Amino acid sequence: MPTPSTTTETVTLTIDGQTATVPKGTLVIEAARQVGVMVPHFCYHPKLTPDANCRMCLVEIEKMPRLQTSCSTQATEGMVVKSSSSVQAQEARKMVLDFILANHPLDCPVCDQGGRCDLQDFSHEYTATSSRFQELKRVFPKEYFSPLIETQMNRCVQCMRCVRYCDQIMDVKALAPTGRGTLTEIKAFGAHELDCEFCGGCVQICPVGAITSRLSMYEFRPWMLKRTDSVCGYCGDGCQITFQTKDNALIEINSTQGSGRNNGDLCARGYFGYHVSEHPDRLTLPLIRKGDEFQSVQWEEALELVGQQLLDVKAKYGADAIGGLISGRCTNEDIYVFQKFMRGVVGTNRIDSSARYGHLNGVHALQRVQGTHRWSVSFEDIESADTLLLVGTNITETNPITGLKVKEAVKRRGAKLITIEALNPAIGSISNIVNLAQQHLGVKPTGFSTAILGLLKAVVEQSILDAELQGKAPAYFNAISARLQALSWDAIFAQTGLASDLFTEAAQVFGQGKKVVVLVGPGVLRSEGGFGMTMNLMDLLLITGKLTNPGCGLAPLAEENNDQGAFEMGGTGAVLPGGTSLGDPAVRENLSKAWGRPIPDTPGSSLPQLIEDAQQGKLKALFVVGENPLASLPPSSGIHSALEKLDFLVCQELFLTETAQKAHVVLPACSYAEKDGTFTNTEGHIQSVRTAIDMVGESRPDWEIFSALSVMMNNPMEYGDVKEIGKEIRNLLPGTRTLGPAPLPAQPDSSAIARYVTTDYQRDIAPRYQLPVNDAATDEITLQVSQSLFHSGKFSRKAKGLLQVEATGKIYLHPEEAARRGISDGDMVKVSNSLGEVLTPVGLRERIPQGVATFPEHFDEEIRQLLPYKVDPETQVPYYKLARVHLKKVVGS
Amino acid sequence: MLLEKFKDEVEEILSRYPVKRSALLPLLNLAQREEGFVSEPAMRDIAKVLELTPPQVFETVTFYTMFNLKPIGKFHLQVCKSLMCALVRSDDVVTWISKKLNIVPGQTTADNNFTLSVVECLGSCGTGPMMQVNDDYYEQLTEEKVVRVLDDLARDGNCHLKSGPFMFPTTSGKSR
Ligand code: SF4
Ligand code: SF4
Ligand code: SF4
Ligand code: FES
Ligand code: FES
Repeated sequence: MPTPSTTTETVTLTIDGQTATVPKGTLVIEAARQVGVMVPHFCYHPKLTPDANCRMCLVEIEKMPRLQTSCSTQATEGMVVKSSSSVQAQEARKMVLDFILANHPLDCPVCDQGGRCDLQDFSHEYTATSSRFQELKRVFPKEYFSPLIETQMNRCVQCMRCVRYCDQIMDVKALAPTGRGTLTEIKAFGAHELDCEFCGGCVQICPVGAITSRLSMYEFRPWMLKRTDSVCGYCGDGCQITFQTKDNALIEINSTQGSGRNNGDLCARGYFGYHVSEHPDRLTLPLIRKGDEFQSVQWEEALELVGQQLLDVKAKYGADAIGGLISGRCTNEDIYVFQKFMRGVVGTNRIDSSARYGHLNGVHALQRVQGTHRWSVSFEDIESADTLLLVGTNITETNPITGLKVKEAVKRRGAKLITIEALNPAIGSISNIVNLAQQHLGVKPTGFSTAILGLLKAVVEQSILDAELQGKAPAYFNAISARLQALSWDAIFAQTGLASDLFTEAAQVFGQGKKVVVLVGPGVLRSEGGFGMTMNLMDLLLITGKLTNPGCGLAPLAEENNDQGAFEMGGTGAVLPGGTSLGDPAVRENLSKAWGRPIPDTPGSSLPQLIEDAQQGKLKALFVVGENPLASLPPSSGIHSALEKLDFLVCQELFLTETAQKAHVVLPACSYAEKDGTFTNTEGHIQSVRTAIDMVGESRPDWEIFSALSVMMNNPMEYGDVKEIGKEIRNLLPGTRTLGPAPLPAQPDSSAIARYVTTDYQRDIAPRYQLPVNDAATDEITLQVSQSLFHSGKFSRKAKGLLQVEATGKIYLHPEEAARRGISDGDMVKVSNSLGEVLTPVGLRERIPQGVATFPEHFDEEIRQLLPYKVDPETQVPYYKLARVHLKKVVGS
Repeated sequence: MLLEKFKDEVEEILSRYPVKRSALLPLLNLAQREEGFVSEPAMRDIAKVLELTPPQVFETVTFYTMFNLKPIGKFHLQVCKSLMCALVRSDDVVTWISKKLNIVPGQTTADNNFTLSVVECLGSCGTGPMMQVNDDYYEQLTEEKVVRVLDDLARDGNCHLKSGPFMFPTTSGKSR
């Protein structure tokens, strides 16, 4: 097994005369690697279960008859292994190579793997120069495989790594080894092209050039590539990526096996989505509005104008007439300098970031109940959990690599999985996490809050309670039970369609867990009541006594790559760097001392507040960095009129986005591929982003632009490079910035818990423990605008690879739902509600529950006009992902 | 849809196995019995019942030469090409058929009557060269015999030269 059991029992063996001491259960091939003996292999891969099909790894083991496959033999005490010192093993390996080369074409000069190919390397090592075979080589006719992935089956050594990866790691099972013997060929389904998650895993794991990426095909030879280790900029999982560049062009991205939080695995966005930085539409010069047109200008002119305008607005209306909004895609250093600029140079706390769109709900719940603003668990805890509860995650599409951790826990380590998801168990072309659930509570996207209450009610009814805490805080327990008792199972059934025994079973499984991790996704964090639901899940962990146990905790999933960093760097108005409160005078005082500039004592504000104030004419200028609120928020948020009313709008952007088109000045920023810095992933782990290519045109890193502006505004914050910013942050926040291979999870703070269970819970327990009003009219459908696996915001629409997989929006329905309404795949439908009507084509997906329709948010430019908008009273998170709509087939379509 | 048409039989098959995917081969047999080959819709249906992906079903179908992935003619001529038969000139059998019907292995006659395939050992090595036509064996083939079999089958849909297979004991204990 790839993961030796956790016991510390060891065995000692010798390999080619070297002594190795390894944990019991370690495979001989791994033990050999540890003492520097590389046993050649094709089918073995540390990620996969041994298959021992290629026979390349044969070794001689004393007292064992015949040669043994070191990839499937466990090391035992006193074992004597001979690899390169065994003539017999060397001969056997030559023979294996001879069999492979009997069919392998002499393709190396045109093969993208040439130069990093295991077959080449082993052939070289074992000097297989002559062959006993004279027969013709097998020839597979070349077939089109897919837009992104190419196969060259003549090169295949039939190790089945790709097939096993797609099954064991991805749970997608899209690859079929067809036929038998030498004629085995990797295909998709029949003559159809590959339809899968396009994670690129099969490309990465193929030891030869049989599966390769079409995006980089024939564009390079591996030895021409320059490697730059960095971090993916698409989602909160924060995968390690390596940019491979040639002459300043991005050629491909991969991830080193075993490295990063992702252990070398990637998703489609990370693997195939890298062309954004090189898109021809990139802004290369600052733009200044002249009437309806933009004019390109030099940096000086643009910076002077922005600085002057900000000073003018400040002089005329006060600093609080200026607001700022920064994207969670920026680096920690960018966000830190931005908020320092806004607070210390402009003199306002009115800033916000994309963490507001949902991640704040999770962070605030953690902070309120356990006193940490980070997870108290890590990815390793997910993998080793014995019980996992997923709520509203659709984890495959939102946080695919965290999803792999869940798959690892369930598929390989036998963890129990409980899911409360708006998904049906159904097999499709991408994996579906609820297929792996022991207990699946399927609800509509509007049903999460009721289902969470149902689970809590079952927990209380079964008395799966922490007696010790109950003794200490009886009032808290009583308040919860009383409110849950008041909810009837009938009412819960009416809203979820789930009977009480399902909740009871799930509660029992949950209660039995020793290491329990609760993952919360956008279905909860971004829909109405998101904060309350997250709080109730904290209650669930707390009353069952799990919260403070090692390996247990709540894990809200960050959607954008640096949402967590945006919060920690003080990117959300009322929170200062380190997650401390702006309202605390002592904190403010310390910070202003460190900065040498006063921190204004005015309140911070959220994006919804900024919009409202702009509409009312109280906000005059807005500085938008990497955010595109016009394309993110629905019209019902009032964003259009808000922006229109501004006297001055500056956008700092890669592209001329919808919002930037409305700006007075547009400043060209460079992408994550062109700068240094750090991102903080969803589990609170800080990782380095590194420069892979030169800055495009005149674009500059965000922090440099803020710094230059501060000079223009006669209040300079100067930094020589990004390291200086990092140093300043580290000095300010000692201990919270652990760069390194793995994060140190935060520990729940018992005084925070004590405060919560004695008084703080009272504040909002009543609204949290109420069933939502069920206003379902029979013919209506719940529309959920949601994240697709193949995109990230609107940003990834500039990635040509991802557009090959998904280029347009469709409304997706369950086939039966569609059939009942006389709608077929591809039909045009009119989607309407009181806010408007939209025409869109239909797609069918079995994983979507009946009564529900989904639409990818990346293509929502039309459909978002149907979305109502509501703001969380506690966290100011804007909710706009769900709507009730009518569907009607457009006749004649 | 195949599985609805044979609901009871499918259920009976499924009930035989504690692990669902074990029912894959019997269900594929059912599909081929019905259509003469395993069609893509059938593979998708079977995948759905067994909670597999279509590629997983496809992979299994391609492993067994007895499953046809394309529609075949009314009579499926499967000539054994394994060692024993090869020693007694199974190659000639293929040539005779090709000459007579004007098709090569893998092809079907224009009138959709005959499909020619070459297959691995059918367990009649002692009586080679031989071929299996649909469920029947024709053994110790000569050119004359092959021509007669093909003529009979084309004309009558039957041929009394068939000689097997004799492998299933009947309930009376005797071979059929
Ligand atoms: S790219 Fe597709 S086929 Fe390859 S491993 Fe990933 S999901 Fe499977
Ligand atoms: S395509 Fe590559 S990974 Fe897959 S079986 Fe062939 S050689 Fe192995
Ligand atoms: S988008 Fe997320 S899961 Fe995918 S590669 Fe990037 S960080 Fe990893
Ligand atoms: S690596 Fe051991 S048999 Fe393939
Ligand atoms: S070799 Fe032809 S039947 Fe066995």
